[in-house]
Amino acid sequence: MAGIVKPPGEFSITPHKVSVCILLQIYAPSVQISLPFPFASVAQHNRLGLFLLALTKSCDDILEPKLDELISQLREVFGVLNPRFVDHLTTRLSALSSPDDLFNFFTEMRGILGGPESCALEDEQVILDPASNLGMFLRRCILAFNLLAFEGVCHLLTNIGVYCKEALSSCASYETTCFEDSSSNLEAFPEYENMDLENFVFKKVTEEIEARKRASERVSFHLHAPKALFDLVEDIEAPADPKSKHSDKVGETSPYVHPPNYALKEFEPNSGIFLRTNWQIQGYLQEQADALEKNGSSFSLNAFELILRQLHKLAPELHRVHFLRYLNSLCHDDYFAALENLHRYFDYSAGTEGIDFVPPASGSNSFGRYEIALLFLGMMHFQFGHPKQALEVLTEAVRVSQQLSNDTCLAYTLAAICNLLSEIGVSNTAGILGSSFSPLTSIGISLSVQQQLFVLLRGSLKRAESLKLKRLVASNHLAMAKFDLTHVQRPLVSFGPKASMKLRTCPTNVCKELRLSSHLISEFGFESSTMTTDGAFSTAWLKNLQKPLGSAILSQENGSGSNENAFQFCVQPSSIPGSVLQLIGSSYLLRATAWELYGSAPLARINALVYATCFTDASSSSDAALAYVKLIQHLAVFRGYKEAFAALKIAEEKFLSVSKSRILILKLQLLHERALHRGHLKLAQQVCDELGVLASSVTGVDMELKTEASLRHARTLLAANQYSEAAAVAHSLFCMCYKFNLQVENATVLLLLAEVHKRSGNAVLGLPYALASLSFCQSFNLDLLKASATLTLAELWLSLGSNHAKRALSLIQGALPMILGHGGLELRARAYIAEAKCYLSDPSFSGVSLLVLLMGWRLRSWILKTHCF
Amino acid sequence: MNSKESCRSELRIAIRQLSDRCLYTASKWAAEQLTGIEQDPANFTPSNTRFQWGSSSIRRRFRTNEITSTPIAGVSYVSTPVMEEDDAVDGDFYLLAKSYFDCREYRRAAHVLRDQTGKKSVFLRCYALYLAGEKRKEEEVIELEGPLGKSDSVNRELVSLERELSTLRKNGSIGPFGLYLYGLVLKEKGSENVARTVLVESVNSYPWNWNAWSELQSLCTTIDTLNSLNLNNHWMKDFFLASAYQEIRMHSESLAKYEYLQGTFGYSNYIQAQIAKAQYSLREFQQVETIFEELLRNDPYRVEDMDMYSNVLYANECSSALSYLAHRVFMTDKYRPESCCIIGNYYSLKGQHEKSVMYFRRALKLNKNYLSAWTLMGHEYIEMKNTPAAVDAYRRAIDINPCDYRAWYGLGQAYEMMGMPFYALHYFRKSVFLQPNDSRLWISMAHCYETDQLRMLEEAIKCYRRAANCNDREAIALHQLAKLQYELGRPEEAAFYYKKDLERMEAEEREGPNMVEALLYLATYYKTQKRFEEAEVYCTRLLDFTGPEKETAKSLLRGMRTTQSGFSSMNVEHFSP
Repeated sequence: MAGIVKPPGEFSITPHKVSVCILLQIYAPSVQISLPFPFASVAQHNRLGLFLLALTKSCDDILEPKLDELISQLREVFGVLNPRFVDHLTTRLSALSSPDDLFNFFTEMRGILGGPESCALEDEQVILDPASNLGMFLRRCILAFNLLAFEGVCHLLTNIGVYCKEALSSCASYETTCFEDSSSNLEAFPEYENMDLENFVFKKVTEEIEARKRASERVSFHLHAPKALFDLVEDIEAPADPKSKHSDKVGETSPYVHPPNYALKEFEPNSGIFLRTNWQIQGYLQEQADALEKNGSSFSLNAFELILRQLHKLAPELHRVHFLRYLNSLCHDDYFAALENLHRYFDYSAGTEGIDFVPPASGSNSFGRYEIALLFLGMMHFQFGHPKQALEVLTEAVRVSQQLSNDTCLAYTLAAICNLLSEIGVSNTAGILGSSFSPLTSIGISLSVQQQLFVLLRGSLKRAESLKLKRLVASNHLAMAKFDLTHVQRPLVSFGPKASMKLRTCPTNVCKELRLSSHLISEFGFESSTMTTDGAFSTAWLKNLQKPLGSAILSQENGSGSNENAFQFCVQPSSIPGSVLQLIGSSYLLRATAWELYGSAPLARINALVYATCFTDASSSSDAALAYVKLIQHLAVFRGYKEAFAALKIAEEKFLSVSKSRILILKLQLLHERALHRGHLKLAQQVCDELGVLASSVTGVDMELKTEASLRHARTLLAANQYSEAAAVAHSLFCMCYKFNLQVENATVLLLLAEVHKRSGNAVLGLPYALASLSFCQSFNLDLLKASATLTLAELWLSLGSNHAKRALSLIQGALPMILGHGGLELRARAYIAEAKCYLSDPSFSGVSLLVLLMGWRLRSWILKTHCF
Repeated sequence: MNSKESCRSELRIAIRQLSDRCLYTASKWAAEQLTGIEQDPANFTPSNTRFQWGSSSIRRRFRTNEITSTPIAGVSYVSTPVMEEDDAVDGDFYLLAKSYFDCREYRRAAHVLRDQTGKKSVFLRCYALYLAGEKRKEEEVIELEGPLGKSDSVNRELVSLERELSTLRKNGSIGPFGLYLYGLVLKEKGSENVARTVLVESVNSYPWNWNAWSELQSLCTTIDTLNSLNLNNHWMKDFFLASAYQEIRMHSESLAKYEYLQGTFGYSNYIQAQIAKAQYSLREFQQVETIFEELLRNDPYRVEDMDMYSNVLYANECSSALSYLAHRVFMTDKYRPESCCIIGNYYSLKGQHEKSVMYFRRALKLNKNYLSAWTLMGHEYIEMKNTPAAVDAYRRAIDINPCDYRAWYGLGQAYEMMGMPFYALHYFRKSVFLQPNDSRLWISMAHCYETDQLRMLEEAIKCYRRAANCNDREAIALHQLAKLQYELGRPEEAAFYYKKDLERMEAEEREGPNMVEALLYLATYYKTQKRFEEAEVYCTRLLDFTGPEKETAKSLLRGMRTTQSGFSSMNVEHFSP
């Protein structure tokens, strides 16, 4: 009731648990009852033990399996070799016909538990250790039974009756449904009448789901509820003749993959629907939450919502359901539902629910933890693109958690604010920070946004370190590295290459920062929550019973030892939590970006590859998409467009629904490059305009994309020989970049300006630009860009006259190692051409023709590479 | 409208038919309306007035528009023929079954009727089965209280009943009562659309079954569904519409309907109580109190709706009347949720919040879905500064009825108390959305915007403006508006609102610090505007008050006189030829 947090629910005895107890009795027969030892081998005995262990732990679903499912699982585990278990199970269950039978049964069960002094072990006797997992389970069952009032025993008895009857008559019930006379009114249909229909729709739906690469195993069973079914059918455009398709499918479905039978009916008085134990449900919810985070929008909104609604109906006091509903609607961009559910969850739970909740040691905190609610609300607003509200809420969260001295929450909130500031981009923040009362006012408003961000980051990092919040420390290090990467901390007063400056944009620095974050994997080996992993493990085991049909057939030949194979087949889920993996993964992504900026293409590629191969499972799909984008860009630069486009096609299929924009941007970029190279200027301009449109979406202006779009615009103009227009665009771009401190872009724009002047034949004007770009590159350690700036400089010199050829040549030769090592095909070609021109214009050089020939040959090979589309 | 006489005869027959079918609530309701019909003075006999109003003072006092009580021209009612009984004499088995039913032995009653085929017998059998299932369900709810609050026990008879009734309906041998039961079963099952059509069918063929109407009403939660119903124009429809309007918060429409119905059913306690309910929602507490006093005089053992009366007494802080009421209902029926709620209100008024919570809890034990008890309990927890408990209680109220603006408001208050004004805004927004005409809600919301943490003054001003527009009783809004405008450096607006506030205070003959503040501001404002005459008026008014302001006023006056004299003398100089 109000204000009192309920303890995690107790254990209640259900028919399924009774069957597990019966199986336990087979596993460990007591002395009094002289059952013949039913196992052919020790391995089989162990297998039953494993099976029981998995049954008590697996968390693949909210509901307990029905008897027929249990039986078919048993058949799978033991094959047809041992039908005795099933017989025994059904006979024992159906023999329970009066309360007294139940009573005797549980007294009997007590016999198989070993006493505290289990010294009198006989050889053949298997005694269950009361402290083992199975023993605990049995003890809890017995305790739960003993606590039952007489009414409870009666209910258990009726439920067992229903449980058995459904299993035995599951086929028969289909026949009674021969359609009497179908009223037009579907709603009024008793549920069983549509059973047939449902089954086929179910199959169809799963097909569809698999086709769309949805997580079919997770969402499959609840597709059964009639209403959602009809919704889904409407969605999916049913094939013209569903019946025929149905009959096709029958042959293919293996006998083992039994269509889940438990239709979750809204109204079914005799159904034996039982929730699993609280821990199992919590584990299930945890898993689902992870899956939601990972796959985001590929999760089916309605289907999952339906399960949650069902769960809510069955367990109204389990408030975590509301949180999952919030996550679900968040993933599907349903703002109002998300808001509603978030508020509801925190109203009910006061932030004090959940398995990982540690009650505060001091009694002072009796007021709930609503500051966490604020934190979540802020993140939600952020997610939905309301930075202003997000900042307001987070500010409030800072204040409240300071008041309640909840340091952990404070640290997380600060991190969230950092994230917010760095994500929404520089152009947006100025207004927000100026207008609102923010935690930063104590620092002084005169600071620029970046400086504020930096101060916040530092503070957050320190706080997280002192509180030993490992994940937060790691993610803060990451954020720090990202900050280092994108912002230059030294103001550009000392302009020019006076001294070699050690900036923190240097990739080694970034990597150092990153390494600080990744050493926490090892620490996570220990502390991962056992419940989830155990549960997931058991679930995987049970699921794999059904999966490797092929391997089962193969191993049948090996005889009795076969079944271990099936067991080894399932991969043990790693013990590192998904969120940690994600953090580490994104550190690799950052490394790749760092190297990319620095100019080392191979290193960037390696890091992206590492990410794509090792962390795609754990990462969010948008991160994975980013890694793919990087790899494809690399391909385009080094292998030409043909391969890049082929790869792009694969990526587009892979990230069908997810984060389409990033892939889309890449596609536009590639198209633009190719159009420029082929001289399709109209197309190039069109693509460029599209990019510009993407840059200013509803959520806000993406500065990076905007600069890129106008850069490309300038390049297109340049290619069309409209020099003055190109120069004008580049000028305004430079002004913008300067205003928003986009230093890397500044260097690029300066280089472009130099290029424009070079092409327009105004080499003298181009020189200062090239030099400025060069010094920018030097001060920001942009080595590859520096090399290409040097090349441009050389070209400028060269175009000033042949008497400058020597200077140009020395410049080119200085840059050549860098260009040959890391530069793309085009850059290399340009370097060769320039070098050749130098030689040609140098009258003192001998053996010109040979060299030029050599160069020509190299050039041709390059042209072949890039232009054989 | 049909003549009173025809209503009366219809009702008389209906009561017999309803109680014959053991639909006791409906027959009780019908009987109440029957005695509520105004007697013709012609056959006025002293025995007939026994249940009628001792003095119809209320009607004299509140019946302002006599027009509504006369029949509206152009409305023609369909006359539904009174249903003929299929068998004039009940069979022996039926009599036995009805006796069992009356002794609440439902299964036994159903068993007796197992082979009977008459419509009436079939209905009673099904109804008995339904009630048996309901009873078992109630028991199971307690028995099966699972670890996670699971309470999914269902009426186990529903499936078989539905099957039987649907075949009967297809055969066309179901009858209006059977349709009612069918609708009930369908509603329980969750297929609301079909339930609605079935219930409409039922009330169209037999309009006097109030049970069917109220089931139908609970299925109409929006005005659209209400309008889409295809109902015959019987006079019972007016009762239905009135109660449905009330439920969807169209209080004035509902009030109009009830006042119209009073033309025929002038002495109906039911209508009186409903009018009180509507007035309560319109916050006319004085009228509500009078109505309830009359009601209790005529029907002293009434418990229904008395919780609302206690709310009014609570709001008016009449603790002795409240204790009297509590005592009365306690002696009548202790274990009614309403009684517990009234006692809870009493303790709350007395400041004994723990005890009050105990009684609200008891009320909730008796009826888990008792909306106002959840909300009131939330208020108590707020008083006790136990905000998490309050939040929980309010949230449960909202889950029962998401349109309960009081609970949303309470949530907002709770969060504001915890120092989370921005978070609280969400809830205030919800509550003003549901009840946009309540100035208190707007003021609370404005207050939230005004807090030191937010300082969103523009939004606060907007809220105060709304509050000032909807009859702000405590007159906070105008004062706050003036203050905020001054703070934002808009002296003209501030003066405007101070003036308005002053006018109001004058009209209501109130004095106090607000008055002084307004006068002082206006005096200085007009002085700076060089409108000395107005300034002087305000200054002289200030002189009536004691305190430092008086001195300020004096010095203001003095200053003005000197400048004015200098000004005028200068004027004189300037214009003198």
